[in-house]
Amino acid sequence: MTPLLLVARRHLVHNWFRTAISVVGVAIGSCFMIAMSALMAGFETKFVRETIEASPHVVVLDEFRAAPDEFATWLSRTLGGVATVASSHPRDRLNRIKKPLELIEALRATERVAAAAPEVVGTSILNFGSREVGAQLVGIDPEQQERVVSTDEFMTEGRLLDLHSASGAIILGSGVAERLGVKRGDTIGTALRSGGARALRVVGVFHTGIVPIDAVRAYTLVTLAQQLLELGRDVNRVVLRLHDHREARDVASDVEAMTGYRTESWQETNANFLSLFTLQKFITYIVTSGITIVAAFGILNVLIMLVLEKLPEIAMLKSMGYTAADVTGVFLLEGLAIAALGVVLGSILGYGLTEFLASLPIPQKGLIESEHLVMENAPSLYVIAALFSFASTLVAATLPALRAGRLDPVVTLRGRA
Amino acid sequence: MSGAATATTVATAALRTAGLRRTLGTGDAATEILHGIDLEIGRGEFCSIMGPSGSGKSTLMYLLGALDRPSAGAVEIDGVDTARLSESGLAAVRNAKVGFIFQFHYLMPEFSALENVMIPQLKKGVPARAARERGRALLARLGLEGKLARPPARLSGGEQQRVAVARSLANRPLVVLGDEPTGNLDTKNGESVFELFEQLVAEEGQTIVVVTHDPRLAARTQRIVRLQDGTVVDDGPPREVLARAGERFTEPSP
Repeated sequence: MTPLLLVARRHLVHNWFRTAISVVGVAIGSCFMIAMSALMAGFETKFVRETIEASPHVVVLDEFRAAPDEFATWLSRTLGGVATVASSHPRDRLNRIKKPLELIEALRATERVAAAAPEVVGTSILNFGSREVGAQLVGIDPEQQERVVSTDEFMTEGRLLDLHSASGAIILGSGVAERLGVKRGDTIGTALRSGGARALRVVGVFHTGIVPIDAVRAYTLVTLAQQLLELGRDVNRVVLRLHDHREARDVASDVEAMTGYRTESWQETNANFLSLFTLQKFITYIVTSGITIVAAFGILNVLIMLVLEKLPEIAMLKSMGYTAADVTGVFLLEGLAIAALGVVLGSILGYGLTEFLASLPIPQKGLIESEHLVMENAPSLYVIAALFSFASTLVAATLPALRAGRLDPVVTLRGRA
Repeated sequence: MSGAATATTVATAALRTAGLRRTLGTGDAATEILHGIDLEIGRGEFCSIMGPSGSGKSTLMYLLGALDRPSAGAVEIDGVDTARLSESGLAAVRNAKVGFIFQFHYLMPEFSALENVMIPQLKKGVPARAARERGRALLARLGLEGKLARPPARLSGGEQQRVAVARSLANRPLVVLGDEPTGNLDTKNGESVFELFEQLVAEEGQTIVVVTHDPRLAARTQRIVRLQDGTVVDDGPPREVLARAGERFTEPSP
């Protein structure tokens, strides 16, 4: 063992209570950073995982992205004072995608696209007795759809292919079924736009755990949706599954450039939720790093006290030939050791706290549904917490360590002579 | 003085100062503590420095031990001009050539007596086993063989200072510098430390320079340098210097 390590170790062991306080400070900061990050990451990961399983990665819509109306801008500027453009409207939506089959074939041939399927989407009022529920009616081809969205695995009653089992077959989201008070086998009704009503048979219920989907969505066959929404033989969406969901933004951008149709990635569709997660993560790191920084100030305080206490010994070390760098090294090593012990203890406590929080029966029913807090005990969270704790502790240790190194032994010895 | 004679003198001197000045503070607060000291201490010499408080004794010791840098003039340790050395160079000289003993022992409370003696050796790169053996031998010679594992807090004042003496000798320094090493000890312990110095000089040719206020202890050295107001006012054998200073010379006990 080098003499610097030996001295640093003895300081820490001899002043074990102070060392323990410092280590616990770092550990608490580290522990809370891990647990809070695990909580945030858990919710985000669950949301993303279930979203990319229960929703298409990319959706081609039957509309165009609103571009700045250059003509209206030019007119306002040119006629300024004489007349103004009070408002402008985006181009009318088409209510259909032209030549959907050709588009689907073309998209399937694209390297990054794993599957493509048509959809007919509109809103419909479903009723059962006196209960009425507004639903997002999605007309699908079950075989093609299953390749894009894993709906079948979320079926709690029936199967997706049961849509073929009866005319007027419909599969309801669990929230829709609950609000209507129906189960598989019940017959519900829907109002047609042209007047009159149509009976629909509930052949299944699905539950994704993503409340915004389960509460409003209902699946029928494409042909039935076209009848109910009175869209003739048109399709108003094409949905895609990608080999890698992380490429959704790029693919959406390419498809939009190619077709002109507004094309949304799953990230764009869920942008509000994802930005919320980003904000939450930011707040979490601010709060938890605050705890770590407070702990670092504790270490700063402890080491400053230690340096002040050790002035004569520092002077003696220098008189024995130890350099300023040696003395700085001793106190930096102490800071490092406190950081290392704190990080190890903090990681153990963080793991325990994460597991404990995950075991608490705290039902979640908001954006996502869960019986417990969703915690992601990912190694990366431990690495981030460790790096942050190390960095803040080292910064805190550097100041007293440099001060110790710069101490003039003669001033100390003269003062004590 | 002939060139050959000068070369011989330089080669045998353990410490040499020339025109040594030291000023503390800056600007209006600047005070010159040492006003040009010329001194030469030969190898194996046992020398004491006496003088009233504020005469610059400690300042001279720090400069002789390369713990401080002169404002002007030169300090040579074993022929090496310390002014030419970097901070790390000075540290290396202190580690290899100088052993300090202060009025307070400044032992590290976290370490045992033996470990305190090992610390300067470990800095020098001596393997732990060899450092331990050297520490044991030194402490045994100082009568502390039964107290190697004791922390300083469990040693008496005299024992603590003896450990400090052992620590100063650990790296077999060219010169041991003692700044009032017996100042905190009672007469008996003070005398026993000086006996030890005498033994080291006699048996190993150790060069020792001590600052002391006690004429009885100074009388046991081979030479007294008297400082007053930062200047050497007398330098010679104890009997003569003490006589000139009006101090009674006490014959050292055998």
